[in-house]
Amino acid sequence: MHDTVVFKNKILPYFLLAPQLIITLVFFIWPAGQALYQSFLIEDAFGFSREFVWFENFVYLFQDPEYWNSMKVTFLFSAMVAVTAMGVALLLAAMADRVLKGAGTYKTLLIWPYAVAPVVAAVLWWLMFNPSIGILPYWMKFVGHYWNHYVNAGEAMTVVVIASAWKQISYNFIFFLAGMQAIPKSLIEAAAIDGASPFKRFWQIVFPLLSPTAFFLLVVNVVYAFFETFGVIHATTLGGPDNATRTLVYKVYEDGFVGLDLGSSAAQSVILMILVIALTVIQFRYVERKVQY
Amino acid sequence: MATVSLRHINKKYDNGFEAIHDLNLEIPDGELVVLVGPSGCGKSTSLRMVAGLESISGGDLYIGDTRVNDLEPAERDIAMVFQNYALYPHMSVFDNMAYGLKNRGVPRDQIKQKVDRAAATLEISHLLPNKPKQLSGGQRQRVAMGRAIVRNPKVFLFDEPLSNLDAKLRVQMRIEIKRLQQEFGTTSIYVTHDQVEAMTLADRLVVMNNGRVEQMGPPLELYERPETQFVASFLGSPGMNFMSARVDANCLHLPGGHQLEMGQAIDLTKLQQQELVLGLRPEHLEACEMPDADFVLQVEMVEPLGADTLLYGRLPGNEDLMVAEQSGKIRYERGTKVPLRVDRSSIHLFDKDSQRRIV
Amino acid sequence: MIENRPWLTAFRHLMLIFGIAVIGFPIWIALVAATHPSSAFFSGVMPLWFGEQGLNNFERVWNNDDRVLGVTVSASWMMWNSFIMAMVIAIGKITISLLSAYAIVYFRFPFRRTCFWMIFLTLMLPVEVRILPTYEVVARLGMLNSYAGLTIPLIASATATFLFRQFFLSIPSSLVEAARIDGAGPFKFFKDILLPLSVNNIAALFVILFIYGWNQYLWPLLITTDEDYYTIVMVIKRLMTAGEGNVPWNIIMTTTVLAMLPPVIVVILMQKFFVKGLIEQEK
Repeated sequence: MHDTVVFKNKILPYFLLAPQLIITLVFFIWPAGQALYQSFLIEDAFGFSREFVWFENFVYLFQDPEYWNSMKVTFLFSAMVAVTAMGVALLLAAMADRVLKGAGTYKTLLIWPYAVAPVVAAVLWWLMFNPSIGILPYWMKFVGHYWNHYVNAGEAMTVVVIASAWKQISYNFIFFLAGMQAIPKSLIEAAAIDGASPFKRFWQIVFPLLSPTAFFLLVVNVVYAFFETFGVIHATTLGGPDNATRTLVYKVYEDGFVGLDLGSSAAQSVILMILVIALTVIQFRYVERKVQY
Repeated sequence: MATVSLRHINKKYDNGFEAIHDLNLEIPDGELVVLVGPSGCGKSTSLRMVAGLESISGGDLYIGDTRVNDLEPAERDIAMVFQNYALYPHMSVFDNMAYGLKNRGVPRDQIKQKVDRAAATLEISHLLPNKPKQLSGGQRQRVAMGRAIVRNPKVFLFDEPLSNLDAKLRVQMRIEIKRLQQEFGTTSIYVTHDQVEAMTLADRLVVMNNGRVEQMGPPLELYERPETQFVASFLGSPGMNFMSARVDANCLHLPGGHQLEMGQAIDLTKLQQQELVLGLRPEHLEACEMPDADFVLQVEMVEPLGADTLLYGRLPGNEDLMVAEQSGKIRYERGTKVPLRVDRSSIHLFDKDSQRRIV
Repeated sequence: MIENRPWLTAFRHLMLIFGIAVIGFPIWIALVAATHPSSAFFSGVMPLWFGEQGLNNFERVWNNDDRVLGVTVSASWMMWNSFIMAMVIAIGKITISLLSAYAIVYFRFPFRRTCFWMIFLTLMLPVEVRILPTYEVVARLGMLNSYAGLTIPLIASATATFLFRQFFLSIPSSLVEAARIDGAGPFKFFKDILLPLSVNNIAALFVILFIYGWNQYLWPLLITTDEDYYTIVMVIKRLMTAGEGNVPWNIIMTTTVLAMLPPVIVVILMQKFFVKGLIEQEK
């Protein structure tokens, strides 16, 4: 109820905000508006003619099986990245949480991949899975499998999922570990006195208490897989084979910068923005709900 | 040194809530005034308006001869001690105390001299290089005091400065604050919700409720002659006993058929047949022999405090719980009946509707 | 420890070591590959133990001897570009966010809410979503092939502003009040109180933002055609597609190791701040 004490200066705050606002306006709001405007236009590649077509670009997109395929690929890819990264991280965090000796060293050794760029991660795994010289296909030959991600869609997807998830494990690990360590010890002790085994304690006490963290991470991982893995795909599969790894962001890039289909690319950008906003709203809801606890 | 005058001060928030109604207060030079009241009564808001931390919606505020309504806090020459001390966590004790002087452009050697002197007065010289984090609650409290006295301001403002301390330290610091205030002779305003603190510290006490002043005056005067039922109930621990009463002749008729003959102490003739509220302080209910008793307390609980013993119980046929304070020398048992006599000279009568004092 | 079950503790250590080994394996491969001549990758299986060409590979990549990187600039130059990009983005974002969070929390002015929401709108829009229009804006402003173009469009940050705002709101208001009574105006309060109190948050954000800046890929790829502005992360992909047939894996992996080193070092050295800073994001 107190109007919190503030400085009375009326002009200074505008100066303080100016850099942020100017950059936001020029590089965020303006391009976003441009994208919206362009999504209603059909333009030839050289910009000689343009025509206002209302929602034609969108209609065309939604009738395009390629777009639906890309949508499917993106959702599949994101789900697999999130599940892999979170699953491995949860397992490792559960192990590290109860370790006393060397906990710091383990933590350091698990955290550093966060610093690796997605595109670098992709190149590392691309070499590991290289069909002719890679170590993993070499081992697979012993069990009779001939790996080739250049032709096999499933195998191409596997590589980009592993490369993307690998880098993200650290991030999830940090949050899961922090979440576990925030659980009051007395709670675990009470469960132990009630006769719950370590395994039961994890599933019945720790895991349910981690669910808010898990939800937060799910959103973060999905956003990461949607938008930040462009480098992974661009450096390795280029969306192939046969568009099996062409995610939505990659398609925006391809249609815009390679295909020069500006209207369609802009329409795709607009749809992506709506997706991001939806994800952010979900996240905000979560934050709000957490505040109420 | 200065007087502080609040004249027709009003505070209205943007949402329309009126926190302070027409507050008038003249604080003579060197006096310590305590604002006391329940939370939300407007005491803190009043203090913060004097400090300049809260804007004043109406009226005039003078410190000395200057109208300070529109001056910045720093320009009012005041110092404030906060409830959570508000020490700068990244600065040493010395820097905490020196910061206000530095900002005022006091030369370095003078700053050192002043801080050293203030620290010596408060016996915190050995803490000067420490950070607030390394100090105990009581030490932090002293540093906060030091930051106030080092500037030798016209007015000290205290915003519940002792409420974060444990009971023992609170008593100790209370005495310390009183000592310092008298030593420096600085006009002070002190806000608290603790009536014991208020009673013991104040030269003058201001009891506030719902943004209005209920009563002001020397603490004992407020205790002995509360003008309203609110003041009567707020001051004193355990609190005053209240019961409804009807006047008939020179006698008060209480629920449950009890009667209280006034005798010569009070003349009730002008209040015939009126419905009143009778207020009796626990210490004015004396245990006595049966023939002298005004009524008999059915004791339900006994709280021996050492020096005193509190008896909680009810009068037969009366629903209200009543407290009587007795000497600790005599042992009382739960379930017994204790005859009580009312000290006629110290009863309080309030109007049932206006809740204002009648006798 | 609640109970003592040696086999369980041993199992935990085993799992952790296994996990670290699996996660670290690609790095092992990269380090090994960086020490062999390119001929080691022509046929058969790639080597699993170190060769003797490490220093030689490093020198060739670092100096770009014989245009081994397929561009005119050396790896050292590209790392310098990456470093500038990472530093400008990190410092720029922190500065801009500190200032705007300060304005939003400690001042009351018309359109405060509008400004707040405009900044937070950007939280929702990663560069990847609006690449084409942003590229056009930057091109129109003549900022292609420049450090300004590489950094400024990425400098506005809702995340950092949000974190500083949360932190400022957690500072007790009595501290501001005490400072005002002590005669500190907005500048002094910012310099003497707010900035020193924010040091930990600034360090944590620095780690996160340095990595963010260093690892940028799509943005530099789009706006640089002049090789003088290439970053180290970008060039790896060019190497992958450059030589069809015989991919120079030893050179690629040497470059990869160089590209990973600075951010990994920053994370390990500032681990404590970094972990703290990350976890703040959930709150």
